[in-house]
Amino acid sequence: MRIVSSLLLVAAALAYPWLVPNYYLVYAGVLTVMYAAMATSWNILGGLSGYVSLGHSAFFGLGAYGTGLLVARLGWPWPLALGVSTAGVALFAALVGVAAVRVRGASFVIVTIALVSAMNLLAQGWRSLTGGSVALQVPSPFAGLHRGQTHLLFYHLFLALLAAVLLAWWLISRSRYGSGLRAIREDEDKAESLGVPTAAYKVVAFALSALFVALAGGLYALWFGSLDPIFVFSVVFGASMVLMSLLGGRRHLLGPLLGALIVAPAGEYFLIALGETQIHLTATGVLLVLVVLFMPEGILARRWRRDHNRRAPQVLRRSDGGA
Amino acid sequence: MTLLLQGLALGLLTGGLYALLAAGLSLYFGVMRVVMVAHPAFLFLAAYLTYSLHTGFGLDPLATMPITVPLFFGLGVLLQRVIIRGLDPMMSVLLTFGLALTVEGLLGTIYTGSYKSVSMDYATRSLSLGEVHLPYDKIIAFWIAVITLTALFALLVKSRFGRALRATVQHPEAARLVGVRTERVAGYGFGVGLATAAVGGTVLALVTPFFPASHWAWIGKLMAIIVVGGLGSVLGAALAAILLGVVEGLVLVTVDATWATLMFYAFLLVTLLLRPQGLFGGRLAHRF
Amino acid sequence: MARILAITVTCALLAAACAKTDEPGTAPRTGPVRIGVSLPLSGDFSEPGKGIQEGYQLWAETVNEKGGLLGRKVELIFRDDASDPNRVSSDYESLITQDKVNLVFGPFSSRLVIPAAKVAESYNMLFVEPAGAAKEVFEQGFKRLFYAAPAIAGDHYNYLAEYITKLPEGQRPKTAAYASLDDPFAQGTAYGLRDKLAAAGITTVVDEIYPPDTTDFGPIAAKIAAAEPDIVVGGTQFEDSVGLVRALQELKVQPKLAAFSTGPTLPEFPAAVKNAAEHVLSPVGWAPTTDFPGNADLVKRYKAKFGGDAHEDAANGFTVGQVVEAAVNAVKCVEPTRECQDKLADHIRQGTFDTVVGPLSFDEQGRPEQAHMIQQYVGGKVEIVLPAEAKTADIVFPKQAW
Repeated sequence: MRIVSSLLLVAAALAYPWLVPNYYLVYAGVLTVMYAAMATSWNILGGLSGYVSLGHSAFFGLGAYGTGLLVARLGWPWPLALGVSTAGVALFAALVGVAAVRVRGASFVIVTIALVSAMNLLAQGWRSLTGGSVALQVPSPFAGLHRGQTHLLFYHLFLALLAAVLLAWWLISRSRYGSGLRAIREDEDKAESLGVPTAAYKVVAFALSALFVALAGGLYALWFGSLDPIFVFSVVFGASMVLMSLLGGRRHLLGPLLGALIVAPAGEYFLIALGETQIHLTATGVLLVLVVLFMPEGILARRWRRDHNRRAPQVLRRSDGGA
Repeated sequence: MTLLLQGLALGLLTGGLYALLAAGLSLYFGVMRVVMVAHPAFLFLAAYLTYSLHTGFGLDPLATMPITVPLFFGLGVLLQRVIIRGLDPMMSVLLTFGLALTVEGLLGTIYTGSYKSVSMDYATRSLSLGEVHLPYDKIIAFWIAVITLTALFALLVKSRFGRALRATVQHPEAARLVGVRTERVAGYGFGVGLATAAVGGTVLALVTPFFPASHWAWIGKLMAIIVVGGLGSVLGAALAAILLGVVEGLVLVTVDATWATLMFYAFLLVTLLLRPQGLFGGRLAHRF
Repeated sequence: MARILAITVTCALLAAACAKTDEPGTAPRTGPVRIGVSLPLSGDFSEPGKGIQEGYQLWAETVNEKGGLLGRKVELIFRDDASDPNRVSSDYESLITQDKVNLVFGPFSSRLVIPAAKVAESYNMLFVEPAGAAKEVFEQGFKRLFYAAPAIAGDHYNYLAEYITKLPEGQRPKTAAYASLDDPFAQGTAYGLRDKLAAAGITTVVDEIYPPDTTDFGPIAAKIAAAEPDIVVGGTQFEDSVGLVRALQELKVQPKLAAFSTGPTLPEFPAAVKNAAEHVLSPVGWAPTTDFPGNADLVKRYKAKFGGDAHEDAANGFTVGQVVEAAVNAVKCVEPTRECQDKLADHIRQGTFDTVVGPLSFDEQGRPEQAHMIQQYVGGKVEIVLPAEAKTADIVFPKQAW
């Protein structure tokens, strides 16, 4: 029964672009799936190791600019550009990670915020390369396609990315490596004393999570075709990945996906309902505060806990102990 | 040469301002292990209040502080007691991020998105020492920073409250054992931190035009300062602020604005690699 | 549960077998003419966005009083882009494919015009816009984009450049300092003047660019002070024009001529810098005093509807309406079909249009071919000083000390 309904959901997701009445909704679908993929890849680091990064938009932007520059300036074929730039970003993330994971908790968050700001300054300042504030225009690799068909194609590309990230998260969380990361989340010092190579584990998680976000960025560059530093290297953009994961439940495979499915349309709704003033920012802010205060484990974790409480209340005490 | 001296002088004055703006951040961290992303948003909330009191009632911007400082102190205590208490550091970052958005949205709704500025007659004059000019508004900002920080140090070092606060920071359990009501002390500590935002906001209103989203530009810089200074160390943050202010001033006059701002992040990175506890700080940074 | 889901999905899949009818071109040919606009009603650019909106509203009101477009009432649909490019695209996408509007008008920010124009272009919609003046906008190969203002950014200072280069040898400035915000529009204005003055032999002694979040202009002013230039030019928006003026005063820089883009054209400018505004120059595309068709009416209507004085942003919005209105009346169609939109674009490309900013005509890429006027604060009031045909006062040079 579960399998049947899962299959149907997958079929519905695949068929979505044909189910909706116009291309605007396909466009909105592309963005939502992109957010879902990014939130899930954020969750490789945030959910498993407990390290909260507010700066993942740095990797999104680097992936986007990397791919965009290779295509626009050097005329590389897009799959090659996407691959090379993603690998480059992952390597860069590993190097940054070596410095970043030396600090824990709040200091780590500061480092990630600084990372986005620094990348924004570089992209904006290095005009000869990136075009700076003029924005980099990336030629569409599918120039023959009509705009609506391009949306359709990228919807499925992003869906494939989402599937790949979900698979990666699932595999990691079931592996020895995943248990190591979880040990770091629960008590890093203890994990270390038990022989978990914490530094290496954290750097790998950081790089893996950056890798998928960079892929999303590269696809975005090819799809959207126009990159402006202040919009791609944005702390608020990075924070939305966190909000989605948190709201959906960052201990659960499907948490970030669920969060994206709620937050993306909600953002659209706030903007339409309250768009005349900036009060929609406040609405988003209050939502974040409420989630942190009242459901830090997210929607899925709550359900999961209730189900298990019925069966085995004892087991859960331990995992209650925060990040 | 004159240009370098001028850059140095301006950097020093700006560094003083940075020290004032970052003091609160260090304090929250010391007391609560909280990285208060919303601190700059509250700075600009204070700047807007100053603007309203100045344009609405004709108050001199500096004369608004007796109103804003107690208000912010109360607000800080309230924030700490009601919502920030008991959160772990990571979640508190997200919570204060939400607060920053909330404040920005409210400011935008009330004051609209356009720029506001408070301009006093002395804001465009300067003191000339030979070829080097020191703007009066920056001198005023610098001295307000010095006075506020001196008062803050005196409070932390000399007063009973300060001793209780430091005990809470260094050894919460031990402090509780000897009878310090750590929760209440932490609340007051947070209040004092937010009170410095009221002072800082007034000064900001004097030296720069502002709009609701202005706070984003400050988050990265101020965070870099408190990490370089050593998280939780108010004195370390002040020294780092002066250092980075001077470096920024010198790079600005010799290279350009992009590199000047990048210096903050370069120092942050180098600090993390070589001395994660900060140039002047204790051992806190490594742990929290 | 699963069964209900299965039924729903099957039904939906069957329903989807019929193709989407989302191509533009299926809008009703009667009823109101609906015009879609995305504007930054919140976010970083919100205030000027409001000004454009007011201009659009005044134009719609004027047209409807005259009986509408081709006898059909005009209805404006506004969307908020929150100063975000993803949103600006999604707005035009939904306006065109979901609301099936007859026409679209441009958004506000230079930085959002290109993404917006891409959407309009790929659905073959005419795209007349009030704000994208940077030269890059016209280099994207758009075939239906027109900038409805007198000149692109690089040409804003043309009259001033001409005035300076024609000064007699003895009075002519020899050195100039430029400081510009890193923004395609602001930078474009300053560089346009720089290139023309440099070609005329006026040495560039400072050429600074600062990022958008710069708040401290002291060090930039220090650099300018050290170079002691005759002219200071700021490629600015509002807050940085104020910051620069203050910092230049503090560092006792006294140029013979000071020109800033955008900032001085806003009413908040003299309030913020007080007496230092005196004799500051600025390019401006519109003035309340000119007698171009509809201008007096615009000024009057603005006052009646919104209170306060009309301003350049509102005039720019109004101008977009005037250009499109003239084209629609000439080719007699207003459908979102490729055929009609192409006819409109072709008509705009070859014609000259009477607007509140003067007669406008466009080149192949949609660049306007006229010039901005130059304004100056004289005796505390904004006066048009260049060109001679439009002037309300004589230009003051050299300026008084600030």
